[in-house]
Amino acid sequence: MRIRAYSLIVLALVLFTAMIAPEARADSATSSEYQVKAAFLYNFIKFVDWPKEKTTDGNEPIIVGIIGKDPFGELFEPIEDKPVKGRKVVVKRFKGLKELEESREKNESERHKQIDIIRKCHLLFICRSEKTKFKETINLVKDHSVLTVADTRGFLKSGGIINFIMEGKKVRFEISVAAAKQAKLGVRSQLLRLARRIVEEEQSNEVEK
Amino acid sequence: MLVLQNMAIKHKLILIIMLACIAGLVLAGVAFIGWERSTFRNNMVRNVSTQAEMIAENCKAALAFQDAEDAKETLRALRVEPSIIFGAVYTGDNKLFATYYRNYADIKVHPSGFQESGFSFGDGLLTVFRPIVLDGEIIGTVCLRSDLSPMYAMLKRNTGVIIVVLFLSSLVAFLISSRLQKVISGPILSLAEVAKGVSEENDYSTRAIKHSNDEVGLLIDAFNEMLEQIQQRDVELVDAKEKLEVRVEERTAELTAANEQLTQEIAIRKKAEQRQAQLLEQLEKVNQELKDFAYVVSHDLKAPLRGIKTLTDWISTDYADKLDEGGKEQMNLLTSRVGRMHNLIDGILQYSRVGRVKEKQVQVNLNELVSEVIDMIAPPENIAITVESELPTVECEQTRITQVFQNLLSNAIKYMDKPQGQIKIGCIEENGFWKFSIADNGPGIEEKYYEKIFQMFQTLLSRDEFESTGVGLTVVKKIVEMYGGKIWVESKVGEGSTFYFTLSKQEVRAKNEKLQANIVS
Repeated sequence: MRIRAYSLIVLALVLFTAMIAPEARADSATSSEYQVKAAFLYNFIKFVDWPKEKTTDGNEPIIVGIIGKDPFGELFEPIEDKPVKGRKVVVKRFKGLKELEESREKNESERHKQIDIIRKCHLLFICRSEKTKFKETINLVKDHSVLTVADTRGFLKSGGIINFIMEGKKVRFEISVAAAKQAKLGVRSQLLRLARRIVEEEQSNEVEK
Repeated sequence: MLVLQNMAIKHKLILIIMLACIAGLVLAGVAFIGWERSTFRNNMVRNVSTQAEMIAENCKAALAFQDAEDAKETLRALRVEPSIIFGAVYTGDNKLFATYYRNYADIKVHPSGFQESGFSFGDGLLTVFRPIVLDGEIIGTVCLRSDLSPMYAMLKRNTGVIIVVLFLSSLVAFLISSRLQKVISGPILSLAEVAKGVSEENDYSTRAIKHSNDEVGLLIDAFNEMLEQIQQRDVELVDAKEKLEVRVEERTAELTAANEQLTQEIAIRKKAEQRQAQLLEQLEKVNQELKDFAYVVSHDLKAPLRGIKTLTDWISTDYADKLDEGGKEQMNLLTSRVGRMHNLIDGILQYSRVGRVKEKQVQVNLNELVSEVIDMIAPPENIAITVESELPTVECEQTRITQVFQNLLSNAIKYMDKPQGQIKIGCIEENGFWKFSIADNGPGIEEKYYEKIFQMFQTLLSRDEFESTGVGLTVVKKIVEMYGGKIWVESKVGEGSTFYFTLSKQEVRAKNEKLQANIVS
């Protein structure tokens, strides 16, 4: 319990620093865009099926992780209380991998705990701040059935599963079926139909819609 | 109903069968069409609902990720169903998200009201709403509208078919019923024919022929039995009538005979009556003659008798010194005999005067009258006459009633043999009569003389002993009877006798008049 409380304080500090950072503060246009993206993240949960080992206990909450510099801010708050698939949704924020590596020297076990928590996430949104660390981050959660989502070009090439793209003012997305398959995630055809681009083979043979 | 009652049984049967048939067919047709319509509707609702469900399922993701184009694409699949002319997807806050029109001209087919779920019929359309549910949350609604005109067209066609079937069935029913009705109406008609023949010709010997063993057969049996009974009755009636006629004749004969006998008897009686009347007339005549005779004789006899008396007086006066004792005695005897003769004639005159000479009827106070009579008689010292009870006032002839009391009292005084004589007068009321009594303590009368004393010229003692004419009681009896009363005597020898007589209280006058009328006639 102590450890958990401690980590929560650390998380709060991280969030606080992220929020007061001027480059992370979203203007009004981006805030409505991220509002939609937040809703989409929730909806992705509804159209994606996790393997059994990830959903053993029905009472455990669905964990949505946000790694890197959080662009959502308080946008999750209005929807956070809504249960999805009969389960609670918990949003957790993590430091980027760089910071984690930096803290390696200080506390090895702390780093491992963080990684464990990240691996337990059902959905992991990887912020743009992690662009350079995409592959590493994805590899970190590769075998743990984590739905990785980002809104950065080239994310699918790095092995991500869903990437937001913008069509004018409308938010759309692309899906890598191969990556999903590798992560043992079932993506429903209804969702696939809405994807603007679907990647069938790993990093190649991209199907343009 | 009246029209139905007056129809021939044949037509009635056909009509009833036809009505039943048509009613059944119409009912079946209506039920069939109704059932078909409801089945159609149910099927349609189910089909459209299923389609709406499918659309809802396919639009989930589109709604969730706000992809209207995709929703439109999904709706476009409705093209395969020609009856659906409108489709729409609404968002969770009821805003139109995507639409589909079968023809672009039909912009006006939007539903008038929004529902989350359910169906409704209206404007010739079926409108179905289905919620779009994602993860237990309603995120939107699908609306589909289906054209009902194909259903109506089909119903119309089916109705046409049913009408044709109905017409053909009715025709067949008519043909069958008009043939088969004879089974029922035939026997009844033949029975009616027989009944008509019987009543018109009064021939009770005919019989109806039985065709079947059903109720009509029973009716015919009963009818035949009835005819038999009537026939029997008829025979009995004729028989009875003949007997009756014979009896009437007999009775008539008897009556005629009795009547004749009666007529004869009446004739005989009439003759007898005539004869009686004749005799009565003769009797009256004789009676009158007798009365006249008695009067004339006594009246005429009085004159020479007066002469004889005068002569006798003269002789006894003038020749008193010339006659010796014997002669004088002879002369006295003569005088007394003449006196008796005179009294006798007076009595007869009195008697004949009763009823012949009429007097005025007046109210007579008998108390006063009796005391006057007593004064007139002037009874000797040794005889006391007492009136023992109050006497009534009666209406009669005063002279006659005076005669009655005078004669009865004189008799009592005349025959008194006791030194202290007592005569009592009484009166009581009895059965509407006044009953008077005059009792004395004289010698009395033997019972065998009770009747005789009231006969004329009857005296119980010799005339030498008592100067008596023997007319007094006869006159009294005649007067009393004239007034409708009776007179009789009760007596004990040596102790005295009581004379009773009655006078009617009410009918004195009437009887009197009747009697007088009789006497006059």
